[in-house]
Amino acid sequence: MTEQELLFGLRHGEESAFKELVIRFQDKVFNTALGLLQHHTEAEDVAQEVFIQVFRSIQNFKGESLLSTWIYRITVTKSLDHLRSKKRKKRFGFLNTLFGDNNLPVYEPEDFNHPGVLQENKEDAAFLFKMIDQLPENQRTAFVLNKVEDLSYREIAAILDSTESAVDSLLQRAKQNLRKKLNNSPP
Amino acid sequence: MKNKLLNERVNKIMGSLDSIGKATAPDFFYTRLVSKMEAVEEKRVFPVLRPAFIAAILSVFLIVNVFSLLEMNKTKQNSTARQGKPVGIESFLNAYDMQGGSVYE
Repeated sequence: MTEQELLFGLRHGEESAFKELVIRFQDKVFNTALGLLQHHTEAEDVAQEVFIQVFRSIQNFKGESLLSTWIYRITVTKSLDHLRSKKRKKRFGFLNTLFGDNNLPVYEPEDFNHPGVLQENKEDAAFLFKMIDQLPENQRTAFVLNKVEDLSYREIAAILDSTESAVDSLLQRAKQNLRKKLNNSPP
Repeated sequence: MKNKLLNERVNKIMGSLDSIGKATAPDFFYTRLVSKMEAVEEKRVFPVLRPAFIAAILSVFLIVNVFSLLEMNKTKQNSTARQGKPVGIESFLNAYDMQGGSVYE
């Protein structure tokens, strides 16, 4: 099925087209969300939300970019929204414990192990992911799209609605920051 | 020497994602997605069943009731005043015929 046929089917609410879309993009969406969120269950939830959003707003997709770019953009937006809401909840977590809404201690995630990392690199990669977690949003997104999802500068620029040189600069700054953090807090 | 070791360590960590493979979506992803979509649709179709909706409806009823009670009271008072009937202490004085002037008259 070509992209045009897929889009035609989606716009006419065909279930087979939607199934084809999910099968074609589920790994890309899940891997990107996992790289950004560093949590398997949350990445699956966000990936599901991405496809629900695609299903609902396919009529708004004008075809000015590739379908994959549009889906990646939704994935990045949803993942960052999820991270922000998680941070907000963590910040106001003590209020919840005060008012008895949730008396559980604030959940501290353990080391994240990406399933694609080689066995001998697991420990180093877990530490690097911890440092990636501290990067500013745009640097983190560019770094994950480039390193984890293996996208080119051009693809990342299209997703972030930016230029290739801006993406290059983002990645340079991300690497510098990571080096600085690693130097300051060696494992 | 210490710096060199640290640099090597940092380079090793930075390179740990160089040969990373891609994670695949969990099994039965599509099936789970479809059930989630059905659940979301149900919520959208039957918003009446949601507690927030019920609370909103009850609040509206309460506000309308209080407002109509206040309005009814106001109308009652207005109509009494319009019929020329004295209100409050005057009506009490009238009822017991105590408006006959002073006892010294």
